[in-house]
Amino acid sequence: METIDIGIIVSLGLLVMVVLGMRVAFAAAMAGLVGLIWIFWAKKGYDPAQFGWALTVATKTAGQVPHSKVASQALSLIPTFILIGYLAYYAGLTKALFEAAKRWIAWVPGGLAVATVFATAGFAAVSGASVATSAVFARIAIPEMVENGYNKKFAAGVVAAAGTLASLIPPSAILVIYAIIVEQDVGKLLLAGFIPGAFSALVYTLIIVGIAMIWKRVGPPIGGFTWKERFVSLPPALPIVAVVVIIIFFVYNPFGDAWGTPTEGGAIGAFIVFLMAVYRGMRWVELKSALLETAKLTVMIFTIIWGVLIYVRFLGFADLPGAFADWITSLHMSPMLILICILLAYAVLGMFMDAIGMLLLTLPVVYPAVMALNGGETVSAADSAFGMSGTMCAIWFGILVVKMAEFCLITPPIGLNCFVVAGVRPDLSVQDVFRGVAPFFVADAVTIALLVAFPGIVLWLPSLAG
Amino acid sequence: MAIKASVLADDSLLSRLDRGLYRLETMFGLVSGLSVFALMILAVYSVGGRNILNSPVRGYVDWIEITMPLIAIMAVSYAQRDGVHIRMDILVSRLRGRWLWIAEFVTTLLVLLLVLLLIWGSWAHFQRSFDFAAPLWSRDSTIDIKLPIWPAKLVVPLAFSVLALRLVLQLWAYGRAILLGTDNPVAVPLIEDAATIAAREAEAVTGREDT
Amino acid sequence: ATEWNVSVWGKRRAFTEHIEKLAELVSEKTGGSFTMNISYGGLSKNTENLDGISIGAFEMAQFCAGYHADKNPSITVLELPFLGVSTLEEEWKVSQAVYEHPATAADLARWNATLLMPSPLPQYNIAGVGEPPRTLKDFDGLTVRATGGIGEALSLIGAVPTSVTSEEARQALDSGIVKSIAFAPHAHMSFGVMEVAKWWSDNLNPGTVNCPVVVNTDALNALSDAERDALLGSVDEAMEYYIDFYENQTMKKWWPLLEEKGVERISYNEERLAEFREKAAGPVAAKWIEDNTARGLPAQELYDLVISTLGR
Ligand code: NA
Ligand code: NA
Repeated sequence: METIDIGIIVSLGLLVMVVLGMRVAFAAAMAGLVGLIWIFWAKKGYDPAQFGWALTVATKTAGQVPHSKVASQALSLIPTFILIGYLAYYAGLTKALFEAAKRWIAWVPGGLAVATVFATAGFAAVSGASVATSAVFARIAIPEMVENGYNKKFAAGVVAAAGTLASLIPPSAILVIYAIIVEQDVGKLLLAGFIPGAFSALVYTLIIVGIAMIWKRVGPPIGGFTWKERFVSLPPALPIVAVVVIIIFFVYNPFGDAWGTPTEGGAIGAFIVFLMAVYRGMRWVELKSALLETAKLTVMIFTIIWGVLIYVRFLGFADLPGAFADWITSLHMSPMLILICILLAYAVLGMFMDAIGMLLLTLPVVYPAVMALNGGETVSAADSAFGMSGTMCAIWFGILVVKMAEFCLITPPIGLNCFVVAGVRPDLSVQDVFRGVAPFFVADAVTIALLVAFPGIVLWLPSLAG
Repeated sequence: MAIKASVLADDSLLSRLDRGLYRLETMFGLVSGLSVFALMILAVYSVGGRNILNSPVRGYVDWIEITMPLIAIMAVSYAQRDGVHIRMDILVSRLRGRWLWIAEFVTTLLVLLLVLLLIWGSWAHFQRSFDFAAPLWSRDSTIDIKLPIWPAKLVVPLAFSVLALRLVLQLWAYGRAILLGTDNPVAVPLIEDAATIAAREAEAVTGREDT
Repeated sequence: ATEWNVSVWGKRRAFTEHIEKLAELVSEKTGGSFTMNISYGGLSKNTENLDGISIGAFEMAQFCAGYHADKNPSITVLELPFLGVSTLEEEWKVSQAVYEHPATAADLARWNATLLMPSPLPQYNIAGVGEPPRTLKDFDGLTVRATGGIGEALSLIGAVPTSVTSEEARQALDSGIVKSIAFAPHAHMSFGVMEVAKWWSDNLNPGTVNCPVVVNTDALNALSDAERDALLGSVDEAMEYYIDFYENQTMKKWWPLLEEKGVERISYNEERLAEFREKAAGPVAAKWIEDNTARGLPAQELYDLVISTLGR
C-alpha cells in the first residue's frame, strides 16, 4: 500500500474517533502514533518479526513531539495572553470600559448596544478568548439595555455577536496558534487581525444604528450624561488603552523600530494589568485562582497542539499534505471557487466543532493546498492566483479561517456564544438569542464576503510592517 | 471562564483516591500557573534590561525553552480530571446509562494505551539527553548559554505518569458505573448540556466582577 | 529497491545542494534502485535530527554542531573562533580530518550515526543597522545575534550576544532586540537580513559553524555493496558541486547585492584584528580544551589536529 493510502485511512480513523467523543488532542495523537507504526512496519514489508521494531521507532518518534514542539519561544505568547484575560477581571477593567463607552455614545439610536460593541472590542484588545468575553458582557450590558427599554432578544444578540471580536482583534490565542501551525510570523498575523476586527465592529455598529432607526422601540437613544460625567469615566478605563498601545508598539511602531517581540509586548501588558489588579485589591487567593485557570486553559490548548503535531509528524512521513495539494491544484476549477468551497466547508464543520480543534485538525492538510493554489510559498504577487505573495496569502487565509471560526460561534445549532448568553440570562432561551443574533449573522456573512473580495482590508497593515 | 465539569464525590475508596490525586494535580497546576507568571516577570526584566540598563539578559530564549514544558504539559492531568480537554460530545451526549459509560470506558482505555506508549517514548527522549557520566549529567544543551535540557524533558514522562494514574481511576469509575448501572458515577467529569456549562462559566465570571 | 528518508530543514538552498546532488548521483549510479526522499522539515525539528537518526526514524540527516554542543562536543572544535580558515576547500578538508578522528567517530556513534560529509560555510560576518562599528572599540555594547564560539569571541570585545533562532533573526533586527546579526552570506540573504542591513563587517572573519551530514549506521551497514559504493563514491563529487555552487552562484549574487543595496563595507585595520584574534582565539580555545577534556574527549589532540591540518 502506498504511504498516501495509509495517510487517508488513518485520517478517516481520526475523524471517527473525534465523532465518537474521544478528546480531540488524544484522538489526533493516537492517529499519529498508529499511522507512524503502520508506515514503519510497511517499510519492512509487514514482517511480523519487525513489528516490535516499527512500534519502537514510532513510539520514540512520537514521544519526542510533546517536549520538542512546546519548548518554543513563539508559543510562550499563548499563556501570557490567557493570563491577561484572567487578570483583567480582577482589575475591574471590563466594567470601567462599558461605563465609559456608555456615557460617551448612549445618545445615538441603539447607543447602548453600540457602546457594548465598543467596550467589547476594547476588552477584546486585552483578551484572547471569545466565549469569556460574551459571558462577561452578558452580565454587565444586557441588564442596562433591558432597563432602558431595549428589546431583550436584540440585547442578547448584540452581546453574543460582539463577543466574537475577541479572536480577531489582537491579542488572539487562535491567531497565534494558526501562525505556529503554518510557520508564519506571529507579529504580522496579529497585526493583520486588527483592521478586520475593527471593520467587523463597524459593520455591527451600522447594523445596530440602522435597526434602531427603523424600529424605534428596539433600541431607544439615552441622553443625560454631562461632559463632566463623561470625562470622569475615562481614567478607570485607561489601563486598557495603555496595554493596547504597548502591545501594538511592540509588534509595529509606525514611528520607527518596534519596541520588541509580540511575546514581550504581551508580557508587559500582562504585568501592567497585574499591577492594576493588585491596586484594585487582588490578593494571593484571587491570584492563585487566576493562575490555576490560566494553567488549565493553557494546557488544554497545548495538549491539542502536541497531539495534532504527532499527527502532523505522521503526515510528513506519509506525504499526505503534498498529495492533497497536488490534487487540489490539478482540479480544473478556478482557485477562487475552490477557496470559497473550503471556507464553506469550514462553516459546516464549525457548526459542530470547537474553533481551535477544527483549525488544528484541518490546517496541516488544507493550508499547504491553499498555498499551492495561490502558486506556492514563495510566489510573487504578480504570478499568483489570488494577486498576493505567498506570505500575504498565508496571512489573508489565516484571518479568513479565524473569522469563519468566529462566525460559527453564533450559528445554530451549537453557536457557543449564544449558549453562554442564554446561560447567563435564565429568562432568555437559546432560541431567543439565536433570533436576536440573526442580523449579526447576516452582517458577518457580508464581512467575510468583503474580506474575500478585497484582501487589502486584511493586508494593508501587515504590508506596512514590511 | 472557569471551565470545569462537575465531578461527584462520596466516601468510597474510589472517591477518596480521586480527591487525593486531585490535590497532587492541583499542585502541578499551580506550578504551571506560577511558571506563566515567572515567564511574564522574565520578559519584563529582559525588556527593562535591554532598554533601560543596556544589558540584555543572556540566554533569555534558553530560559523560555526550559520553562515551557512546565507551562504546557505539567497540568495535563489536572485538566483531564476537570474534563477540560475539548471533545465533540454531540453523539456521546445522546447516550444514556450503561451505553454512555461503555462508550466512555472504551475511549478512556484507548487514551490510557496512548499515554502509556507516550510515557515510554518521552522517557526515551529524556534518556538520550541524560548521562550520569557527563558534566551536569547533560548530553543535550540549549543553543546560547548551554543549559542542560534533561530536566525539561523529564517533565513530560512525569506529567504523563500522573495522567496515566488519573485514567486508571476513571476506568475504574466507568467500569463501576457499567456494573452498577448508575446515572451518577463518582470521580469522573459528567457530560452536561451547553447551557449548564455556560451558566457556570458566567457565574464564575460574575463572582470576579464583583471583587 | 532501497528508499532512504533524509531530514533537513528550511527551504532548498546553497546549504543543501550537496544533499540534493548526492541523491541524484546515487539514483543514477544504481539505476534508480536506491533513492533518497529529502524532506525539508517534515520528519523532524532541526535540533532533533540526531535523535531521529539514533531512533532509526530516518536514514540521513543534516544538523549544526552549535545547536546542541552537549550532543556532539567533538565537532564543536570546528566552531572555535579565528581558526583562520579562508576557503571552502580548507573548511571541507579540516572538517573531514576531524570527522575521521576516532574520538569524533565514537562521539557520533552514541547516536548510531556515521559522519558522511560536511556542509562547509564561509566565515560568518556581521551585518547590522544603526551606527556601524568602524573600529573594534565600537563593538562595546553592540547587541549581536551570534551563537557558539563566534558569540563568545565577540563578547570578549564588549559585544552582547543575544540568542534568537535564524528564523527570528530578521524580526529581532526590526524590533531592536539586536542591532546586528552574524551569518554566512547565503543566510544573510535567505533570512532577509540584507533587505534592511546598512553595514557589513568585511574582514572580521571571526569563524563559522559546522553542519555535518550523517547517516544511520545500521542503515549504512544494511546497504548492498553496490549501493554503499554508489553512496560513498558520490560524496566527493557532491561536495565539489556544493562548493562550486556556493562560490559561483551564491557569492556571485552576494557582492553585487551589497553594492546595489548601498551596504557600507567596514574593513578593519590589520593590526587591530591581530589584537582581537590574540585576545579571543587563545582564551576561547583554552576554555574549550579544558571543558572537553573534562568530558573525557582528547580535546587537545582534536584542537592540534585542526591547527596542523590548516598548516599553521
Ligand atoms: Na483579542
Ligand atoms: Na456553531
